[in-house]
Amino acid sequence: MAAPCRKMASRSFSRLLCYFSSTAVGSGACRRFSVTPIDRATPLGSTAADRATSPWSLMAAVCLQRLPVISADCSPIEQRFKQMLQQMELEKSLVSDHELRLLEDAEKMSRRQAADYDSDEEDRGDQEIMMTQDLEDTWEQRLKNFHPAPRVRADVDEDLSSAQRCLADSLVLLAEQQVGAEKLWLLPQAAWQEGETLRQTAERALDSVTAAGVKATFLGNAPCGVYKYKLPKAARTEGSVGRKVFFFKAILADGAPGSAPTAPLLWVKKSELQEYLKPAYMTKVDRFILNL
Amino acid sequence: MNHILRKLQVTFPQQASILNLSLCRATPSIQHPMWSTASINERQYRDMPTHGIGRWRHLLPKQASKKKKVKNQVKDLVSATDTAYGTLNVKVSGYDMTVVEHYSQYIHNLCNRLNIKVAESYALPTKSTEVLLMQEQGNKTFVDAVLKTHQRVVQLSSLNASLCPVFMDVILKNQPEGVQLSVQEHTEADYLLRFKARPELDGLIAQIYQ
Repeated sequence: MAAPCRKMASRSFSRLLCYFSSTAVGSGACRRFSVTPIDRATPLGSTAADRATSPWSLMAAVCLQRLPVISADCSPIEQRFKQMLQQMELEKSLVSDHELRLLEDAEKMSRRQAADYDSDEEDRGDQEIMMTQDLEDTWEQRLKNFHPAPRVRADVDEDLSSAQRCLADSLVLLAEQQVGAEKLWLLPQAAWQEGETLRQTAERALDSVTAAGVKATFLGNAPCGVYKYKLPKAARTEGSVGRKVFFFKAILADGAPGSAPTAPLLWVKKSELQEYLKPAYMTKVDRFILNL
Repeated sequence: MNHILRKLQVTFPQQASILNLSLCRATPSIQHPMWSTASINERQYRDMPTHGIGRWRHLLPKQASKKKKVKNQVKDLVSATDTAYGTLNVKVSGYDMTVVEHYSQYIHNLCNRLNIKVAESYALPTKSTEVLLMQEQGNKTFVDAVLKTHQRVVQLSSLNASLCPVFMDVILKNQPEGVQLSVQEHTEADYLLRFKARPELDGLIAQIYQ
């Protein structure tokens, strides 16, 4: 426990250059990212004296999240309030340039149609080629031809392994891994090895579980949560009593998965996590996953 | 015996009260040199007995003298340490000004609530983009729309490394549609970007160095 903590404190932090964008109708289901770590100092090697023999072995896990792509639907009260505010705004607003031109054109037309219309008196400046009403009609036509992508696709929502499901919620990646004797659903984790930082361990865990094309941005060098468990009495030895798992948060960047993942993967919402995770694990993980 | 004593007892308080009265009346008039600097509450003028009766400012603690504050001070760049990031620029940009401004205000309020020091909060100049479309009949393009990109910057002086993932997660999850978020280090070039170009000065400098 002493070794990795000291390493994290002595290492200078990488200068992150993150760019996140959120577009309403994007090409994929993910936001565009660009991360350029400018300065990444190599971690100092721990001396033999640092390595205190602790009965706990360390692991790092990654909490990979796919952020929501579209805004969530409004609740009934929110809808009513929104409508009321829009109506108030409309009533308080002034007439725009386009609407003024519309009114002027209508007035000109009515004057032309009047019986005592003298075309010479009319102060015609630049005769517009297109009347404002025609402009509006062309715009309406173009709007009709535009077909936006559907917000909710029921069949994709059912598919738990797809990253495009539930575009209005944030999803967390779960992988089925072998822990001891049984296969469990948990956040992808890997054991810590000598000479690497815990964050690098988490990155390795992610790479081992997902396909090669998946790009993720880690939000920081500090872990966001910890879960420790003791090994069953049969497996306990002098040197190892249990394991401590440190969780790191990461955001899924726009990466189309090329090859199939090595282990079965799930993208689940926070509300669905309870069905897959063990209760003790769930209480610890629940604390740092934000359901915003 | 008794009645004599009683008489004495009776007369004594009367004499005492008379003495007291005379004593009270005597002290203001007698300007005893020892007692002139007795207390601050001592009134100064005997002709104006209530002069300075409402004075209270002398009772307040001494305040430092107010110097004229220099506006638009250049704030120093904080460099990164082992446990905290340096000066960071959180830039919010988008086409819709109300959404961009509200989001930048949300980030600022969030920083205040999380006790993250906000160095500055300013706006960069708006960039106008003209969208030109080809006409359906003919080769000429015409102006279809003018899109204005608004940018707001919230400058954080130091962000604790353990707080960074939580902060980033919250602002990412609350990012509205149509708004781009960018978190970068603050550099000298970023600071100079805020100033307008001065063509006359540049011309004169070029003349000097030619």
